[in-house]
Amino acid sequence: MNLQLLFSGFSTGIIYSLIAMGMVLIFRSVGIMNFAQGEFLMFGGYFCYMFNRLLDLPIGLSLILASICMGFVGVVFMRTSYWPLRHAESKAIIVSAMGASIALKEGARLIWGAVPVTVDRASEGVVNIGTAVIMKQNIAIIVIAFMVMVLIYLLLEKTFIGNIMQATAQDQYMASLTGIPVIVSIGMTFAISAMITGIGGGLLAPLFFLNNTMGTTAGAKAFAAIVIGGFGSVPGAIVGGIIVGLVEAFGGAYISSTYQLVLIYVVLFIVLMLRPQGLFGEKIQEKA
Amino acid sequence: MMKGTRKGNLITGRYMITLTCITIAGCFLPLVLSSYMLRVMNIALISYMCVLSVYVLLGMCGQNSFAQAGFWGVGAYITANCLLKLNLGPIVSMIIAIAGTALFAFVLGFAFFRLKQYYFTFATIGLMTIFNGLFMNWKEVTGGALGISGIPPFAIFSFEFSNETSKFFLIIFCAFVVTFLMKILFNSSLGRQFMAIRDNELAAGCMGINPLLTKSKAFAIGGALCGLGGALYAYLSGYLSFQVFTYNQSTMYLIMIMLGGTINPIGALIGTMIISLLQEFVRPLQNYMQLIYGVGIMLLMIVQPEGILGGIKALYGKYNERKTLRRSEA
Repeated sequence: MNLQLLFSGFSTGIIYSLIAMGMVLIFRSVGIMNFAQGEFLMFGGYFCYMFNRLLDLPIGLSLILASICMGFVGVVFMRTSYWPLRHAESKAIIVSAMGASIALKEGARLIWGAVPVTVDRASEGVVNIGTAVIMKQNIAIIVIAFMVMVLIYLLLEKTFIGNIMQATAQDQYMASLTGIPVIVSIGMTFAISAMITGIGGGLLAPLFFLNNTMGTTAGAKAFAAIVIGGFGSVPGAIVGGIIVGLVEAFGGAYISSTYQLVLIYVVLFIVLMLRPQGLFGEKIQEKA
Repeated sequence: MMKGTRKGNLITGRYMITLTCITIAGCFLPLVLSSYMLRVMNIALISYMCVLSVYVLLGMCGQNSFAQAGFWGVGAYITANCLLKLNLGPIVSMIIAIAGTALFAFVLGFAFFRLKQYYFTFATIGLMTIFNGLFMNWKEVTGGALGISGIPPFAIFSFEFSNETSKFFLIIFCAFVVTFLMKILFNSSLGRQFMAIRDNELAAGCMGINPLLTKSKAFAIGGALCGLGGALYAYLSGYLSFQVFTYNQSTMYLIMIMLGGTINPIGALIGTMIISLLQEFVRPLQNYMQLIYGVGIMLLMIVQPEGILGGIKALYGKYNERKTLRRSEA
């Protein structure tokens, strides 16, 4: 077992988990798949770059500020590309999200330029365990992502706001009858989703360079994670993301580095053949 | 509904007349256009074939695919390999490209349509990324990052379609045939099966349609259209590079059809022409073009989700309603 690969795979995987979690939160809340989630990752990374490199703030503060900015982006995204279309066909929502994804991609290019950039590591240096050399950044990613996940769990399960959001996700009409402002609740879901994905972008940036097209590939991988984990399940998204990250790291090292994405989709199809509802999913009967 | 299912005469019908008129008008384009604009037109018509594949998948069958530019590339690379490596004739290569891409899409369809709706759409994004990776890295077949160059132009026996005008006539002829075939498909039992699945997959299944097989057929037809487009593109440009067959191109196809309207091939034509010509006429704004597309497509979905043709149809419907109202009053 290669410990080095295990750690790097696990840390990239947990970032896919963050994207996948963001997608699942939105999916559970409003029943649409967000095609621009990968762009949130890219945007979060760029915000982090802006605070960290252009304004010279420490990386910890940059991450927090970037995630707050992403919250606003999430709300704006929801208000412009989901809310006006909430009664439209799913086709229209998909296309509108595609439009938003293009706009975000190009917006990032126009604001921050097309040259790949990077940000500071959350933690410099390496740790030696036996023969393996592990970057501290990988450990930092795992720790921070884990903290974010715990925070989201507490927010959703233990607080009043979380209850409001869950109620809206279950039945919007009923929630509005009990006096919940549905638009605020959905806006908050989008904001939280964008925030956790944005933090992922800031954490990923030191490992891979940031560019404005990174979102599409990351989004496709996160999607694979969701399907592997089981649709609509948050633990499933987390486990799926980690599986995707590990497959990518080990497959890249031992099988072929050019066809990493192919490998991920092979795993996806194996999972779908053996367990069509995903690892954590429940079998849902199609409704007429 | 009655009007849609009425069997009109295909050759003398309104659709055929419109199509012939557009084609004949199109045939005069080489007289007025410069060689450069003709090239733009050629590429637009090839895009139109790929957009038609989106029309079959999305407009008829209700499946949203982002892999069409990948199939376009598959068609192009098959053509190039048949011509250069296997030394087959241009017509045979083209037929192999169409059939090969269709078969490939059919087989992939069986795997990908196990996923439904959003899941399928996302999986095709992955497929597109995989395609692009293959085009870039598989040196033996696609020439890797260098691409394939020196593809000879299309030829029938000894007549070579080597200059821009003759290529234009070849492509417009193919576009005409394909659009005509679309109408036959629309009226056929298979087309109605597609539409049944689009409207309600479960109900379609209850009526004895096999959704997986039927959707795979739609994917195969889409693949064939993209294969044809790819073959024509290979003959047109003579050089293939992985940078052409990208995910962005696929998104562009979707934007084109949503702009024109998904209700019939004319919508696909309108959307393709508007976007392709727009790209030429607003060159100074090139830097902001993608941003404008992105915001534009969001606005379009909010204001008119059915596209231009859908808007015209709604207006026409309103006009007719008012006319019947007036008649009943009189």
